[in-house]
Amino acid sequence: MESLISQGLSLMVFGMGFVFVFLTLLVGMTTLMSKLVVKFEPVAVAVPKKLKPRVTKTIDSNNDELVAVISAAVHKYRS
Amino acid sequence: MDKMMDLWLASGIYNLQAGQLVMLVVGLGLLYLAIVKKFEPLLLVPIGFGGILANIPEAGLAFSAVENALHFAQPEVLDALSAALGISSSDPEVILKAYNTSNASTHAAVSLAAMDGGYSNGMLYNFYNVSIASGAAPLIIFMGVGAMTDFGPLLANPKTLFLGAAAQFGIFATVLGAVGLSTLGIMDFSIQDAAAIGIIGGADGPTAIYVASILSPHLLGAIAVAAYSYMALVPLIQPPIMRALTTEAERKITMVQLRQISKTEKILFPIMLLLLVALLLPDAAPLLGMFCFGNLLRECSVVDRLSDTAQNALINIVTIFLGLSVGSKLSADKFLDLTTLGILVLGIIAFCIGTAMGVLMAKLLNKIEGGNSINPLIGSAGVSAVPMAARVSNKLGLEANPQNFLLMHAMGPNVAGVIGSAVAAGVMIKFVG
Repeated sequence: MESLISQGLSLMVFGMGFVFVFLTLLVGMTTLMSKLVVKFEPVAVAVPKKLKPRVTKTIDSNNDELVAVISAAVHKYRS
Repeated sequence: MDKMMDLWLASGIYNLQAGQLVMLVVGLGLLYLAIVKKFEPLLLVPIGFGGILANIPEAGLAFSAVENALHFAQPEVLDALSAALGISSSDPEVILKAYNTSNASTHAAVSLAAMDGGYSNGMLYNFYNVSIASGAAPLIIFMGVGAMTDFGPLLANPKTLFLGAAAQFGIFATVLGAVGLSTLGIMDFSIQDAAAIGIIGGADGPTAIYVASILSPHLLGAIAVAAYSYMALVPLIQPPIMRALTTEAERKITMVQLRQISKTEKILFPIMLLLLVALLLPDAAPLLGMFCFGNLLRECSVVDRLSDTAQNALINIVTIFLGLSVGSKLSADKFLDLTTLGILVLGIIAFCIGTAMGVLMAKLLNKIEGGNSINPLIGSAGVSAVPMAARVSNKLGLEANPQNFLLMHAMGPNVAGVIGSAVAAGVMIKFVG
């Protein structure tokens, strides 16, 4: 029966110790990660770039549509 | 007249045992708490109803084919069972004992013999095997919880992780309490039972069910009921402890607005957490792995359909089966004894100690930080119970100072508590599993 208590005690010491070690490491890594992200992210932020392709894309698709309509009309006219 | 007699002998009223009657009342009581008092209705409705189903006399919904065969005790079936077990006695109790201690291959042989005799596994028994014994349901729910969790407040103030760690002390203190009760000879808990009871203090339903299903399945019903009932009682249990441990001035501390968190940080966090788990504690990998996966689905924003399913449809489906399966463990012979009472008492102690340690840790952090930046009320949210515990912190903060909104600050320790109790669960499974 004594051993059951000592098992419980060691579970408490190791368990609590491990939870603290794990979360302390997590705090450290999270802080480090946040610092790195904040430091490097401004380079990655490029909102205008994202807009440009969309604009050209709509024009492209408009062109495609235009071409399709014109060629259909030409076909009809020739036949 | 003979037919009438047969019908009467097969009826529920004739076969009802006192224990079953008590459990039917317990099941109805759970339904009452869920429907009228709105205590965690999403879980207590299925659990209560499952409990009623499990105690229908003669139906044997919660029993395996072998247990059903032993209940009806037809001599030729009993002979077949004892032959499969390789014992000579055909006394049902002796057979049950031999069956429970036999290895997996004998187990399978005996249940096949029972099925040959015309008995089958009960419906709830099958649900239990598929959803809980396999470990699937708690893990899928954990994925859904991950998909619902916003780590923003935690990332903005990583120190709150310490509060989530401190609140786990309740778990381990209760393990000691359970072990102490067995040493004094009041109850009979093994170290595995004690660990499974302690996890109630983690205030996290799926974690409690997962740990109990691995470490001590025979206590699962009581542990799950205790865990979910106490989670519903958080607004009643926590405030007195929080008021007793803090001064009026401390409750009035206003915290500074949290900084904005970028999307990259939110995407990197679950991946980083998973790597840390993989490197340090593989035993927590099932729980935290699914949790991180769910969270990544949410934050990466390219699989919105999966994220949506994980946090709505899937978690609801699994909750139904989880609840019914937990209810199946509320059969009279497994639930009605002194240990259930012990579990309920130990569970609430675990909860109180966890709350107190969270608050004390917050006070300590506040002292270290200079005494005017962390409101100790957010410490109590370190026991998980998302988001109820955070709301309680917010409510008490508003009582002390009507301009003090602590909700977002309390969400940090709240989700830290989920991580903390999953880590604690991993440690327990590693050490005593």
